[in-house]
Amino acid sequence: MKAPATALKQGFIRCHECGQLIKANTTLICPVCRSRVSARRHQNLHLTAALIISSLSLYIPANIFPIMTVTELGATARHTIAGGIAALIHQDMIPIALLVLIASILVPLLKILGITLLLLCVHFKWQVDALLFTRLYRIIAFVGRWSMLDIFMISILVGLVDLGGVASVIAGPAATAFAAVVVLTMFAAKSFDPRLIWDHQLSHD
Amino acid sequence: MPVFEACPECDLLLNQSKAAPGDKAHCPRCGFLLHRPHKHSIERTLALSAAGLVLIVPANLLPMLTIKILGKTQEGTLWSGVSALLKEDMWAVAAMVLLSSVALPVINLILAFLISFHLFAEKFNRRIMVWMRWYQHLFEWAMIEVYALGIIVACVKLSDMADIKFGFGLYAFIGLLMINTLLANEFDNYTFWRSITHLSKRQRV
Repeated sequence: MKAPATALKQGFIRCHECGQLIKANTTLICPVCRSRVSARRHQNLHLTAALIISSLSLYIPANIFPIMTVTELGATARHTIAGGIAALIHQDMIPIALLVLIASILVPLLKILGITLLLLCVHFKWQVDALLFTRLYRIIAFVGRWSMLDIFMISILVGLVDLGGVASVIAGPAATAFAAVVVLTMFAAKSFDPRLIWDHQLSHD
Repeated sequence: MPVFEACPECDLLLNQSKAAPGDKAHCPRCGFLLHRPHKHSIERTLALSAAGLVLIVPANLLPMLTIKILGKTQEGTLWSGVSALLKEDMWAVAAMVLLSSVALPVINLILAFLISFHLFAEKFNRRIMVWMRWYQHLFEWAMIEVYALGIIVACVKLSDMADIKFGFGLYAFIGLLMINTLLANEFDNYTFWRSITHLSKRQRV
């Protein structure tokens, strides 16, 4: 079956910023919005891979070290991300515990795995269901920001609970690592060009 | 000249859509939501961003939550988390929280206001393209809705050790959240770029 015409095969480049179609090889600057024109973000595969490797290595300290230290009536407890979820389960707050589990443990990990899969697919020119992989990309791009949930929750607790020995909360070193994981995976998702998935498919209807 | 456009996620070459206001145009190959024109999109963006700029003042300055533990009370605003994190030397986390909960929502509202005001008044400004590009890139980094979820989780965590009272700042923040959601729905990049192109063409004639 004949592959449908993409803009690039017909000699057009779509401006990344404003969507204007530009005749290929005519200009380097978009006439509408004056941003730089390139057909695909090819060179960014390296950037995406680098961001993913960095976020994977930061994911480990983010989960091992305490993300916050809670002092209540003189007793000090250090919570890791998993510990915070366990505390919520103890409070019988299962839905909230589930929410935090998804947002701070599963989503970052699945994002790292998902983007790795996308990179492998483009690099080795796998023949895949491109629609499925595009949907994977969209989910990854959409959920990324929701992982900041834990960081915001900690910042609210740290700012609010500051009553000396009675009760206080301080952020732990894992908070920095975790925030970095979220930011790096967001940049990784942004730097990936989903059109590359479609470019390598030999045939589709 | 026949008018084409290309899908940003799979590069399929398409005839320029004539979607009516209220319709949604999806890419036939990958299902990407190309655009969803609204009636009075520019006017509504202008009104919503102006309202958001008003609400952002009480949301930032007034206390959002007040807690009471063993007779001691403490207030927290949007800023107290940032300043507490800075006191702990967690400047990276503090910067991320400041950017995504305070700075970028304000910047995005200002950009949306400037863009829609210039389009509404049909005043051409060279910088309008730059504003659009910034708005598109910064959009996902303003995380008001994630922060709101963080407030909920923080309240649940505090519920068994403290009495919590909601302040007016929180109501202003919720108002801001609703305005932001409506604004994101109204601000159709495609419609705006087309209006900008029309405006700049008329300017050159």
